[in-house]
Amino acid sequence: MKRRTFVQLLAATPLASTVHAKESEDAPKYKVVTPYKPAAAPGMPGPYPGKVVSVKSAKCLSDDGLKINDEVVREMMERGMRALTGDAKTIDSWRRFFTPEDVVGIKVNAGGRPWVVSSPPIVAETVRNLMEVGLKPQQIYIYERFQNQLDQVNYAPHVPEGMNIFAAERQNRRVDNSNYDPNVYAEADFFGEDDTRSNLIRLISQKVTKIINVPNMKDHGATGVTGCLKNIAYGSFSNVARTHFKGVSHTLSFVGTLASVEPLRSRTVLQIMDGLRGVWHAGPFAPTLKYVFFPRTIQFATDPVAIDRLLLDIIDDERKRRGAVSIWNRDEQTLDFNNGKNRDEDPNTNIIIREPRHVEYAAKLGLGVHDIGKIKVEEIEI
Amino acid sequence: MRSLALICVAALIALVAGAAFTADAQRAAEAAQRLPLIYWAGEIETAEGLKQAGIDQIAAPPDKAVEWRKAGFKVVAISQAELARREKLLVPRIAGRANVASATRRPWIDSNGWRFVRSPSGKFYYELPQGKAALAAAEAFAYGADAVLKIDPADLEEAGKMLAFLRGLPRENLPAIADIAVIDDGSLAMGEVLNLLTRRNLLFKLVPSPSPKFRVNLKLGTKQYPKSAAADPSEFAQKIRRQLGDENRSVRVYGTEVVICRLAGDGSRTRLHLLNYSGREADSLRVRLRGKYGQGVIKAFGIESAALEDFVTADGATEFSISKLGIYAVVDLPAMK
Repeated sequence: MKRRTFVQLLAATPLASTVHAKESEDAPKYKVVTPYKPAAAPGMPGPYPGKVVSVKSAKCLSDDGLKINDEVVREMMERGMRALTGDAKTIDSWRRFFTPEDVVGIKVNAGGRPWVVSSPPIVAETVRNLMEVGLKPQQIYIYERFQNQLDQVNYAPHVPEGMNIFAAERQNRRVDNSNYDPNVYAEADFFGEDDTRSNLIRLISQKVTKIINVPNMKDHGATGVTGCLKNIAYGSFSNVARTHFKGVSHTLSFVGTLASVEPLRSRTVLQIMDGLRGVWHAGPFAPTLKYVFFPRTIQFATDPVAIDRLLLDIIDDERKRRGAVSIWNRDEQTLDFNNGKNRDEDPNTNIIIREPRHVEYAAKLGLGVHDIGKIKVEEIEI
Repeated sequence: MRSLALICVAALIALVAGAAFTADAQRAAEAAQRLPLIYWAGEIETAEGLKQAGIDQIAAPPDKAVEWRKAGFKVVAISQAELARREKLLVPRIAGRANVASATRRPWIDSNGWRFVRSPSGKFYYELPQGKAALAAAEAFAYGADAVLKIDPADLEEAGKMLAFLRGLPRENLPAIADIAVIDDGSLAMGEVLNLLTRRNLLFKLVPSPSPKFRVNLKLGTKQYPKSAAADPSEFAQKIRRQLGDENRSVRVYGTEVVICRLAGDGSRTRLHLLNYSGREADSLRVRLRGKYGQGVIKAFGIESAALEDFVTADGATEFSISKLGIYAVVDLPAMK
């Protein structure tokens, strides 16, 4: 969707206006508690606000899209990083962000297993470059919230021995909280839940000095899309599923709010959007190939908002191409909450009114550039 | 003459009030010392099993009391009819699928705390399936209830361990702390409201009339709280919570929605009871108490290494984490001047 179309839609749709008015009345009150101060130049939006390098290659996947070509991915990574920083040598690009003293977390996305996850070859290439910079495997952490998801993706065979693969919880059951920092949290009462806090993973607040965010191009039933912002926000805090309930979602404001919490905001210095495969409906999950599509793209940026602004169009265009309702559709007639099965079978069924404007909201918090006219996309074809 | 009459009336009121106070205080003191009783209808041949479980006091049918006493047990004789006259309690547990419940699909807890608060001099009994004896014992103890537990014999060892744990706790006789005053009309509707307040850790006290000492005074049938409002007790409890304000709550628990708290204190020290209804260990709870407290001590059933971690006082509140919580724990904290 082009920006002009977006603005027109808001102006022309009374329902949208009504909903927006209600949003401001119902906006949750947030209390953010953290002892960490922002860096002089926070990682988000970083040194390249509004800049996205998009590297595309038809050869990065097999014709059927099931196999990844490691060599092509490596070339895409090298070209993308050099284009982002303007350096002639790939290693110099990485050195702009990392030093041998850093402890680096790689925030992967394993939720869309098996088909739409942070691809092991992209993660492996990221690790290889960090080690080129001078980091030891022990200084690198692949992390995600849930161990069972990480286990299914199984990054270990793709990375050097001694590297850390870390999950904050065994699975999405909210029974183990010890890996969350009690002193860094965002508090809000969304639906009268008793536990009103979402705490940051201790690894982020107490261990890593830098974070690389490696999300995927995914539809999301609550947020519209899940890209850089949601991956780093909802993937780094506890107790976040409480924001959507009975068709209503508070992701509009909570995604950006979480991404802004220090030290997460300051330490997240690089965004590598894995768009080799994507999912255009029923995301963030992709248990089958039914809704998987193949953008065959990797994007590079320091600005998560800019990438996600592009992602809104990528997912919405794909949905339109397939005859599915827009991610901007707020018609309650499409809603069949608490019926994931129906949603999975019918791409015109939603379980929640989506909140794609969470990207714009994040921009207002200073996390990046949302205005499509101000986003500069450098496209590279390999 | 008139002055003399007034003095006499005042003296009489003071005497009655004093007597009432003494009775309340005595009841509270007794409750503080009270351990729940295991009702044991087994034959005397089962005595060894009880002894091995460390249980030396039971409730038993009157016709068996003598031989149990001869066997060295302290026995409270309770007939079947007496047992039936006691108020039967729910089996304390999570009803439903707590494993998959999210925060916005709050698990349903069957708890009895509100019944104990409503009837402080009541007599209660539990009829418990296997696996619930220890939690029931802890629940009754936390509220100082006069409760008898009919347990599954397979739970004897666990029940014995819990009773030993309860017996080993430092004795306290502290008044309950509450944030909400409730004028109880004794109705079923109000009972369900009390139930929901308990389950959401909204601490209340039953009072005969509204009291300015409380931020919220709740009386059904008033303009502010019409009886129709309590038709949805869950929503009603939520309304009360919002009126009180989370920041003003004496206790909050984060990281779980299946732990119920009871708080008691006298301004110099405070005891927090934590009852975990989930049937499994809770991991890394965060507790917030309104007020400033010094580093406290936790005693947790079945977890010797329990400690209060990440202890902080800020913004008029005290917070700490509990790394592991089994069925029950008490935290004793001194108030900070």
